Amino acid sequence: MALADLLERTGCHVTVLADRCAGCQECVVRCPTGALHIEPERWVARADDAACVGCRQCVQTCPFSAIVVEGPLRAGQRASLPPLHPGSTEGGTSEVRPGFSSLAEAQAEAARCLQCPDPTCVRGCPAHNDIPGFIAAVAGGDLEGAQEILRRTTVMPDICSRVCDQALQCEGACTWSLAGGTPVAIGLLERFVADNVPVPPPAAGPDGSKLSVAVVGSGPAGIGAAFELVASGAQVTVYEADDEPGGLLRWGIPAFTLPLEVSGRPWRQLLQAGVSLRCGAKVGPEDLDELLQQHDALVLCHGAGLPLSLPVPGAGLPGVEDATSFLKRGKAALVEGKALPDFVELAARPGAGRPVVLVVGAGNTAMDVARTARRLGARPICVDWMDRRFAPVRPDELEEAEAEGVEVRFSTTLRALQELDGRVGRALLARTAQHRADERPQVEKGPGDWQAVDAVVMAMGYRTDPALASALPGTPLRREAPGLADRRWQASGILAVTSPRFARGRPVGQLALGRESALAAAGLPLRERTWVAGDALVGPSTVVEAMAQGRRAAQAVLRSQPRRAGPPGGLRASRVLVAYESRGGHTRQAAELVSRELAASGATVATLPLERAGLAELADCDLLVVGTWVEGLVLARVGPAKATRRWLAGLPLLPGKSVAIFCTYGVSPKATLALMRRALEAKAATVTCEAAFGHRDLSEAGLAKLAAFAHQAQGSGHGQLPEHRQPPEHQGAYVRALSAPVSSPMASAPAADDA
Amino acid sequence: MALAERESPVALSTVAHPRAATNGGPLAGPGAKFSSGPISAAVRLRPAQRQGLRERFASSDPVPERDLTAAFPRLARLVRSRRFQFFLVLPNQVVFWTVIVVGLVGTVVPGLNFGTAITWYVWFCLVFVLMVVVGRAWCAMCPFGGFAEWVQRRALWRRTQKALGLGRKFPEPLARYGFLLPVATFLLLTWIEEFFNIAGPGTPSDTSWMVVGIVSSALVFFLVFERRTFCRYICPLSTLIGTVGSMGSVAGFRTRDREVCLNCRTKDCMRGGDKGYGCPWYTWPGSADSNLYCGLCSECYKACPEGNVGLFVQKPLTSLVAPRRRRPDIAWGVAALWGLVLYQQVNATNAFSSADTWLNRELHFPHYPNPVDYVGFIGLGVVATAAVAWLMAALFADRRYHFDRPGNFQERSSRFRSFFVPMSYGLVPVVGADYFARQLPKFLQHAPRVLPAVAHIAGFSSVRSPVYSFSLMSNGWIVLTQVAVVALGTLAAAWASWRIVGAEVAPASRHGLGVRLASVAFVLACGTAAAVLYVVMHAAD
Repeated sequence: MALADLLERTGCHVTVLADRCAGCQECVVRCPTGALHIEPERWVARADDAACVGCRQCVQTCPFSAIVVEGPLRAGQRASLPPLHPGSTEGGTSEVRPGFSSLAEAQAEAARCLQCPDPTCVRGCPAHNDIPGFIAAVAGGDLEGAQEILRRTTVMPDICSRVCDQALQCEGACTWSLAGGTPVAIGLLERFVADNVPVPPPAAGPDGSKLSVAVVGSGPAGIGAAFELVASGAQVTVYEADDEPGGLLRWGIPAFTLPLEVSGRPWRQLLQAGVSLRCGAKVGPEDLDELLQQHDALVLCHGAGLPLSLPVPGAGLPGVEDATSFLKRGKAALVEGKALPDFVELAARPGAGRPVVLVVGAGNTAMDVARTARRLGARPICVDWMDRRFAPVRPDELEEAEAEGVEVRFSTTLRALQELDGRVGRALLARTAQHRADERPQVEKGPGDWQAVDAVVMAMGYRTDPALASALPGTPLRREAPGLADRRWQASGILAVTSPRFARGRPVGQLALGRESALAAAGLPLRERTWVAGDALVGPSTVVEAMAQGRRAAQAVLRSQPRRAGPPGGLRASRVLVAYESRGGHTRQAAELVSRELAASGATVATLPLERAGLAELADCDLLVVGTWVEGLVLARVGPAKATRRWLAGLPLLPGKSVAIFCTYGVSPKATLALMRRALEAKAATVTCEAAFGHRDLSEAGLAKLAAFAHQAQGSGHGQLPEHRQPPEHQGAYVRALSAPVSSPMASAPAADDA
Repeated sequence: MALAERESPVALSTVAHPRAATNGGPLAGPGAKFSSGPISAAVRLRPAQRQGLRERFASSDPVPERDLTAAFPRLARLVRSRRFQFFLVLPNQVVFWTVIVVGLVGTVVPGLNFGTAITWYVWFCLVFVLMVVVGRAWCAMCPFGGFAEWVQRRALWRRTQKALGLGRKFPEPLARYGFLLPVATFLLLTWIEEFFNIAGPGTPSDTSWMVVGIVSSALVFFLVFERRTFCRYICPLSTLIGTVGSMGSVAGFRTRDREVCLNCRTKDCMRGGDKGYGCPWYTWPGSADSNLYCGLCSECYKACPEGNVGLFVQKPLTSLVAPRRRRPDIAWGVAALWGLVLYQQVNATNAFSSADTWLNRELHFPHYPNPVDYVGFIGLGVVATAAVAWLMAALFADRRYHFDRPGNFQERSSRFRSFFVPMSYGLVPVVGADYFARQLPKFLQHAPRVLPAVAHIAGFSSVRSPVYSFSLMSNGWIVLTQVAVVALGTLAAAWASWRIVGAEVAPASRHGLGVRLASVAFVLACGTAAAVLYVVMHAAD
């Protein structure tokens, strides 16, 4: 056992600041090696230096920063597999990066994993794979078990392990990486599992629901959604604009990174599982309504496939193309073992050498373009206006590209293109300067240099289709987590480290938390019965994020069971979120009473203060109950508490979401409920019932009113306003059906409060 | 069960939140979430250690009936309000900035200057009453820390997320001496105060500069270090307030149910939550065993997502007697404070002033107080106290027990320590009463001067005002009061010593009753010495 050998070497020393340690055990429950315990006499943590591996998780998690760890990381040497640089890249489609060749190799690497009790890598992984779990299975030689663990959270371990930038995800968030060392090779281990045990096809789901779901787009997000949906028995129809399914996996990622055999696997399985695929079906914003009529739910995964281009003089010349079209035809030619006709023509000119392809951009797309061009016999030159230090390119890809003979010029930009013999012939390049990562590069003055080129590919990246984005309010979404970070994330230590070296100084914790917000948003419908996932939701991102969002959207569809023809009778809300804002405790008490009532009738209820009711919780419920106290001065400004108003204003669109509202008041609620209803209706939610509780209603005598509210609320799940329902007889004066007139919201009122 | 929603699916802890059962079925409790997501499925926390938990906290946990916030909803609302501490600090803030300004620009007559009058006739005495009755009440309203904290948080009361300043940790080699650093600064400040005769009171501007000095050093520490590092490790009053405050009847903010704290996965009371900051004093309600480190700021009460923190009251002296964890820094600190207060009593005698004058002449030091005899006398007090403990250890310790444990200042234990540390805790009421008694003459003779001093700011009133020379008591009565206060403190000390030594020292002694009686005799002797000194001081006047 490699870890045991490492432990023999001494050198770690843990100091607990006995004066400051409060004995909260945050470190004790998280120490991977059990090196910490509580000394009962003084109730402070004590460490066993001999068991310490120096991973610093205790340091990162301690709320009072009362632990100091000195000494080396006992992490062992990470397995490193140098890329296979083929002698001649020309015409090659073979995979560049190797995987582990034997179980022993994989097991040696798996032994480096600390099996952290609160694993930061899982939070760093966009799909939240149980990384310690599957690595433990690998270490034990149980590859089937490892595949099974991966399958709980991902449907593409074979693909993600090849295309993920692990440095910014799981491996950047690995405990070793956060402590300044080299992380466990999680990606390689995942690939070893996926390569040796076939990824299981979607299990044939129960045939009961007959939910009909349309998925637009067949890329990673669509695949994630379709796997999830088809496995639970839904009828899935996938609309794909191209002739073949796979989206970015098919045309965007070259075969030398992602072999065809691997990239085609998900769709082979999906088609076998009975997903109906309609290729060549481009969906525009005007088609959405029609699709909604044909299907119960819509999951839009159309991606962000619109290539960006640089508007320079001559950009429209023949021989100038975008990355999408070049990658498509380049990959097709390579796979078929042919050459590109225009390259052949160019090379055939008298005295010409390899055709020079100018690739504008030096990001990951540009690397793919340049390396494809290289394999097609061209001489690619990448230019990027950013400084090499700040360029957003994966260092491993850049290194591989340069080793393959791609010329990459940073701090260089394209100013103009000129024609020669009816197609692009030369490019005017200028030097740029950039001193900080957040600085816009400055183009230096001067005439610039002319570079002879035979073809130009604009490969600066992609953006979402503005036509569809305009039909989807709020997209593309910014991936950020404003406000106070989730304390469970904080406790894990992933946010305590601002930027690990292995992650190229990027704050992996913040990046992961930002992804979390997008994942939660994928669970919320953006229009009636319409969910959005993947690049279509957040703009150009990653394969694994898209897959995870697709799955999340599909799970939301399956949970809410939307129907074209309205809800079948008698359906009751089964997952209720009761969110309250309380000051003196009355609203909290009312919320708990309502929750108890709802739970007693069989619903799963979560009761949370408003500030903790986030997107994930909203997405998870089919009925939302919002409660607030009433604030206001004696004569003016009576309304929902400020925190409630802020929370309501910050809500995302909740089309069709059923919401029940209540308030607790001292003197009179006045227009509180009306104001809340208006705020919710502005978010496209449906307020199905409302009630105001005075303090007497919270006593034993008034419980009937609370119960009545709870029952009325529960009958109103699934976003439909049932017209047949009448308020029960015993309801109080303030519990009323919505058809009843409400008093003017702006009327002044005497003091009202929840105390 | 309710535990499932906490991020520990393989919840190795099996004790359920007792309120979960009454909260309306599965998942209906506050904080419940629908499902354990993919992340929680991968979280496999070790079980929290519960071994020794009951023994450690049984004696010091307050009874639930004494939870003020549960008993008085209005109080609960008050302390939940984010403006609570602001409105405690604000009046003191106004007074102390007035002290600074009036001390600098007002009259040079100390008795008529508002700055000196309020500070030395009233404030110091009031702070003592607050300590003895409540605990760290002053810390909750302190204008020095309060002001610096406003700056550090960039807010008067709001919960902000980004602190101003460097946010450094206090260096470990110093932090391990805990309460000894405030004792050192207290000794320094007292020496300065005696040297310049600030508290006499002397020149009012000296008082102003002293206050300015404290505020600015507080500000510097708040901007360099995190949270209330200044209050914990530097503030000259911290040890005095902490130890004497342990006699107080407010237990501070404590956990209502320790199981909830042990299962808590957010620790908002320590890290800070949406509604409250993390504890500025580095105290966890889940393990607090006395009011020693509770600044009564109520942040944990506001922050706790489970509503599991309460403000508790306790019987007087509980925080001295009950805690199982005894701190060596407190023990040495109490001994030093005892030496200091004795010094302040002795220095009023004729014999001492001639000794001081002689020493100054020999050492060419300008005037009283000579630093050598100052440090020397206090050191003698410390050594004498320690010597008594050493002697008792030598006489009574049961040799069958092994007392020695290696470690740093905080960690190590020895036979001497196991006698000295509990005995010093027993001495606290004598020391507290002595400090209080020493402040009494200024209050009883001159407190009414605050009224003409206030009037003087507005331009009328003078030393000829009848209120100016009005005393609350004659000198003879004052001495009697002082002796009575010391006697009361001595009785309290005797009781506390009897309990502490009985519980902690007697079991490791050859003669349990003997060691208890000896320790009680020791505090009685100390108290008598203090009382006699007051009579002698009076005679010296």
